[in-house]
Amino acid sequence: MNAQAAIFEDPVAYGEGVRIQKKIHAARLAKAIPDTLLVMQHQPVITLGRRGRDNYLTVDSTELENLGIDYHVSSRGGDITCHGPGQWVLYPIIKLEGQSASARGYLWNLEEIAIRTASDFGVCAYRREGMNGAWTDEGKIAAIGFHIKRWVTLHGMSFNAAAVPEGFSKIVPCGLEGQPVAALKTILGPQTPSMDAVAERLLQNFGAVCGRDITLVKPSELASV
Amino acid sequence: MNIPDDLLYAESHEWVKVNDVATVGVSDFAQQQLGDITFVELPEVGDELSKKDEVAVVESVKAASDIYTPVSGTVTEINEALEDSPDLVNTDPYGEGWLFKIELSDESELDELMKPDKYKEMQAG
Repeated sequence: MNAQAAIFEDPVAYGEGVRIQKKIHAARLAKAIPDTLLVMQHQPVITLGRRGRDNYLTVDSTELENLGIDYHVSSRGGDITCHGPGQWVLYPIIKLEGQSASARGYLWNLEEIAIRTASDFGVCAYRREGMNGAWTDEGKIAAIGFHIKRWVTLHGMSFNAAAVPEGFSKIVPCGLEGQPVAALKTILGPQTPSMDAVAERLLQNFGAVCGRDITLVKPSELASV
Repeated sequence: MNIPDDLLYAESHEWVKVNDVATVGVSDFAQQQLGDITFVELPEVGDELSKKDEVAVVESVKAASDIYTPVSGTVTEINEALEDSPDLVNTDPYGEGWLFKIELSDESELDELMKPDKYKEMQAG
């Protein structure tokens, strides 16, 4: 099965990212485009899943504003998380069909993509019972939360590469008290790969795990959708 | 896969049972595909729905999935037990895990739903 992917060079404001996702989702539902993956870094933002608990936000809105961190409630599943430069967010807008039309299976696949990507750079990541995402000995490296609308997905998985976004220090990530957050940078230090190299591996692993042949397109080519 | 004989099914994996009003839930297949359900957001009594409208959201671990009404009409009752026990959708999808009841506004829509045999075939395919 074919899919297209666009890597956004500059960090995207979260609200703008959602707008792009919705546009791609509508076009995918209308069968006007193939499965599409958006790969973005965001400007600093804290987001809450649709039933996320804002008591896990440990600062008030004024402080967030002073720190230049945006705040959004999202339609995805999952709890509170944070995005920012140095972290890739993978937004697959794909149709889940037949036996793969499974929220549970898709969650497993997203975890697998994160685990394989970490492993490609020599970092051992793994699943932990009851705490979904991908974990390393130094902390959680990938977080997941998605929305299935007419069996086409929105939102997805974030993977900390060159940095742990600073907003993580202002929340209890995913509502898990005392659990640290890590990035490739935390573990690899100066050996940390470039953001481009990480994006390339994320897409490669997505293709292998989800069975898609991926063609790269420019974000500007999606504008005509 | 459990597919009771006395229900009608939608392609999006909801079931409908028609008595004096229609009861709607999700199929055994759907509950398995969704995984362990942690929350169900239901419509409100009195909501007027058109067929295929988004009517509920089912949350499983890390996922929020939309549910669509397979028939048009007015919601007369919702399954309030799901508020405390959303897992009933997993354990008893055709019984205590029902989602809502609806007074049909167009009974002819029932003809467009699948009989059990056809739903079984769709899953096999």
